[in-house]
Amino acid sequence: MSKTRKLVFMALLTALELTVWVIEGQIPAPVPVPGVKLGLASVVTLTAMVLLGRREAGGILLARVLLSALFAGNVSALLYSATGGAVSWCVMALLVGRFPEKLLWVVSVLGAIGHNAGQLAAAVAVTGTPALLWYGPALLAAAIVTGAFTGLGAMYLVRALKKYQINEAHGKES
Amino acid sequence: MKRKTVFWAALFILLAALGAGTYLLPRNGSRAVISVDGQLWDTVDLAAVKEPYEFTVETERGWNTLRVSPGQIQVVDADCPGHDCVQQGAISDGVIPIVCLPHRLVIEIKR
Repeated sequence: MSKTRKLVFMALLTALELTVWVIEGQIPAPVPVPGVKLGLASVVTLTAMVLLGRREAGGILLARVLLSALFAGNVSALLYSATGGAVSWCVMALLVGRFPEKLLWVVSVLGAIGHNAGQLAAAVAVTGTPALLWYGPALLAAAIVTGAFTGLGAMYLVRALKKYQINEAHGKES
Repeated sequence: MKRKTVFWAALFILLAALGAGTYLLPRNGSRAVISVDGQLWDTVDLAAVKEPYEFTVETERGWNTLRVSPGQIQVVDADCPGHDCVQQGAISDGVIPIVCLPHRLVIEIKR
């Protein structure tokens, strides 16, 4: 992929991730645990990590986190989403090459667990209330369920996009 | 490959079940401890409440209106963007506290 193509693709993925994030924000959380959401935006981050690389995925994620704070007008949430995003990026970046593509959902689950752990740590630090750690097990359970779903989503998206790129490499540009 | 998939799926299902189980953990106690920013704000003995009443916890970050009824406590309204604390509903004897992150308000049940 040429540099320009890659940049355009990254910009597209950033816009896609932000849109998914905004739409997901309109859906009420199904369980009454603060901080629990499906995290559909991570489908895009993980897909970018597989197709483009760790650094590119990190850039897309960082741009989305900053833009989402602006879009939501909620700067206090920025701290939590940035911490969660940073930890989950680290976890997924460490694991993504070590798991076969069929087990990408495992990388996603572990990334989601990292995300929730990071957010919880930030919340405990900000509120100075260790009692919040009681949320840990519930957030772990939530991360497993949501991470598995977003991971499957990323797997299918990677498969679909790879097909497209293979066609492109053979000169069948549309 | 199949065996690995089964291994990870089994591990995650087990962990998720254990994690969700914390909601069933009881904590014997009837004192609701309200803290803001890690500092004690007030405590309410829920066992001693006869008539439900409401009060508001207000700080420079925002306000939360709390309702106390016999044996339980909940947040009924707040000026935060997410309203997670309101959706949590009432707590009475669990280990899971109510939390309003934007206002740094935490309500836990203690002995």
